[in-house]
Amino acid sequence: MVSIDSIPGVVLGGVLLAALVAVGYLRRRRRTMADGGYPTPSERETELETEKPFGLVRWFTTVDHKDIGILYIVFGVVAALWGGTDAMMLRTELITPGKTIWGTETYNGLFTTHGVTMIFFFALPVFFGIANYFLPMLIGADDMSFPRINAIAFWLLPPSLVLVRGGLITEIIGKLLESVGLSALAYPLLALTPIDMSWTMYTPMSSSLANPQIDLALLGLHLSGIATTMGAINFIVTIFAERADDVEWANLDIFSWTMLTTSGIALFAFPVLGSAIIMLFLDRNFGTTFFALEGGGAILWQHLFWFWGHPEVYILVLPAFGLTSLILPKFSGRKLFGFKFIVYSTLAIGVLSFGVWAHHMFTTSVDPRVKASFMAVSIAIAIPSAVKTFNWMTTMWSGNIRLTAPMILIIGGIGTFIIGGVTGVFLASIPVDLVFHDTYYIVGHFHFIIMGIIAMSMVAASYYWFPILTRRMYDQRLAQVQAVLLIVGVTVSFTAMLVIGYLGLPRRYAYYPAEFTLLHQVATAGAYIIALSVFLWIVNFVQSARTGPLVMDADVWNLKESGQFTREWQWFERQLQERRGFERSTPRTPVAEDGGSGGSSDVGDGGEGGGGSDGRDD
Amino acid sequence: METNRVTGAIAGGVAGTAVLTLLLILLEVQTREQIQAFDVIARFVGTPGQTTVGFALFVVAGVVAWPLVFVAIRDYIPRGPDPAAQGAIFAIVLWVAFAVAGRGDLSGPILILYAAYTFFAHLAYGFTMGIVYGHFRGGSQTSREVYAQQ
Ligand code: HEM
Ligand SMILES: [Cu+2]
Repeated sequence: MVSIDSIPGVVLGGVLLAALVAVGYLRRRRRTMADGGYPTPSERETELETEKPFGLVRWFTTVDHKDIGILYIVFGVVAALWGGTDAMMLRTELITPGKTIWGTETYNGLFTTHGVTMIFFFALPVFFGIANYFLPMLIGADDMSFPRINAIAFWLLPPSLVLVRGGLITEIIGKLLESVGLSALAYPLLALTPIDMSWTMYTPMSSSLANPQIDLALLGLHLSGIATTMGAINFIVTIFAERADDVEWANLDIFSWTMLTTSGIALFAFPVLGSAIIMLFLDRNFGTTFFALEGGGAILWQHLFWFWGHPEVYILVLPAFGLTSLILPKFSGRKLFGFKFIVYSTLAIGVLSFGVWAHHMFTTSVDPRVKASFMAVSIAIAIPSAVKTFNWMTTMWSGNIRLTAPMILIIGGIGTFIIGGVTGVFLASIPVDLVFHDTYYIVGHFHFIIMGIIAMSMVAASYYWFPILTRRMYDQRLAQVQAVLLIVGVTVSFTAMLVIGYLGLPRRYAYYPAEFTLLHQVATAGAYIIALSVFLWIVNFVQSARTGPLVMDADVWNLKESGQFTREWQWFERQLQERRGFERSTPRTPVAEDGGSGGSSDVGDGGEGGGGSDGRDD
Repeated sequence: METNRVTGAIAGGVAGTAVLTLLLILLEVQTREQIQAFDVIARFVGTPGQTTVGFALFVVAGVVAWPLVFVAIRDYIPRGPDPAAQGAIFAIVLWVAFAVAGRGDLSGPILILYAAYTFFAHLAYGFTMGIVYGHFRGGSQTSREVYAQQ
């Protein structure tokens, strides 16, 4: 039998090194300028604008922030569909109390891969994609600070996804090889079965399960953490260094503020996760005892994991808050109420998010006095969240509300966030958590936030910026139906779970007592409604991107009227002019011709005093 | 002109069948062989039990037969002149046959998953076939603007 163990490590290392050297050599030969220097920004621009290759080569070699943004978004959507298939299988298994189709082993695999895929490969990549595309435009930059690092950060993700989810793919390849008589090759592949230790990877289970696929998955997760950290550094540097002259901190738009905070959190949280993963990997393969009883024990893993894990939930939710704060005013016809306080609350959440991790450990043996302090901070973090919620409501108050699809989704997202947040405050109180810990109540709580405001703000952004992304308009009626279906599906499914948890059913079991059947079926019905809405979104998006009506006037949403025709739309207007020679919709709107810093109407929706009044004199 | 249509149709068939096969393999992988999609195919094309023969017939049908039928009856398929949209509609008809003939002894909840997933896979088949066919039939760029006026 050919086994990887029988090849000396030195040989493997040598091959790897040689490959790296070869790649580096080839790259240097292709890249060095005639004068031996590095390309200057203007040369870089030429390269981007005129020498962009066509077809697949373009997508594999691009360093343009817009292209990379699209790659991130497509990747995130593919991961979401894959993770969504897991979810639909889980919900289908739970239609009946006993074994419906798969039984325990596959069920455990499914909720693990579902969680890992959604957290690492769907939510953050999509936000990074949206930010890659629009953040440089919003702050008046030409590109991200480090376009090549940006590309690398993206291209680390596909291999990590394959590593994490490898067990299934290798199973099929293994069976194929076996059927043609190559069992020797098939054997190691068949030994890799899908990971099933849950996304929290609690030790001692994760350190003692024999499945070698877990090691590959750990490496994959580590790789994705590196990618995230690189992306985060890039966002931070870009926001600090690449702002146009007239973009001050005071009028930096709200989405960039949240991306800055998110990236800051990620910069501190992800290296901890990466280290913890490496320690677990060493425990599994090299006999170290970080998480063994004689070492730090299982609690050490929980501390390290949740020191990343809780900040991670705010890493995910802050961009959603940012999109909500950005889009809501556009369809309320008013500026964001209390802009400053929304920024302060974002920063407050960024700091506080590191002080609450042990609320995931209330049922462990952590000292009660320590737990009490974590309870206090957990409840305190509800305050900045509430500040945002009230500011959103005030923004809508007596506004001129237009119920377009993005607006429906944003309002729905605020609603689901209120349910998710309030259930979270309950959980933050230790006595309540002792009752609900590891029940479906938890599942309901965080899904109201993740499938609620997080997913909904993404879909809202996809509709809101659809004209910029595709130069076309989508089917607005279909989109409204889709938005409502998504809100209904999320509410039905996860309310049922809150009730199931309230009645005390533990989560993560494939079988359950018969009296929960009806509630589980309701939750499954809700999940199928969500799936239907996702399907409608894809159909609308793909078909409208191909054949939707062409956008002739950049002011698709009548933003000039309320003085909110922000930089990305002005960029879009210039694009329409340059590429197609279209007339400007409102000739009097003072958009700077120099294409760079722009006039006073360039000021985003930032700051109360910000510009934008120019667009209003219509 | 006729050969152009036939080449375009077959090229569309190749692309569409590749996508459909990939999606069905993924389904197989994902459900850990609960659905046995390739036996479904064998039953669908009328050779129950003989998976390899069934698969070969599936490829021939997907690459040659269905695309030619599609081209022949295209004028009667709604949502023209966009061949991709028409291809998707055409594929729904195929899916009905596939789902009914191939479901075998799947029953209960897994039937929901099976139906939904194969529906999606067939749409992808028809859509891809239509796109590639349209591409061969004289550039997408001008016709795109034409659809936009519909
Ligand atoms: C803002 C976005 C939020 C997200 C994305 C989120 C997400 C999550 C997730 C994923 C879990 C499950 C952990 C597990 O596997 O056991 C969880 C649990 C928990 N959440 Fe949240 N949460 C959010 C907000 C809040 C807020 C505002 C609070 C409290 C003020 C809170 C309190 C809790 C507590 C105490 C638990 C632990 C419950 C237990 O495991 O017994 N969460 N949350
Ligand atoms: Cu937490």
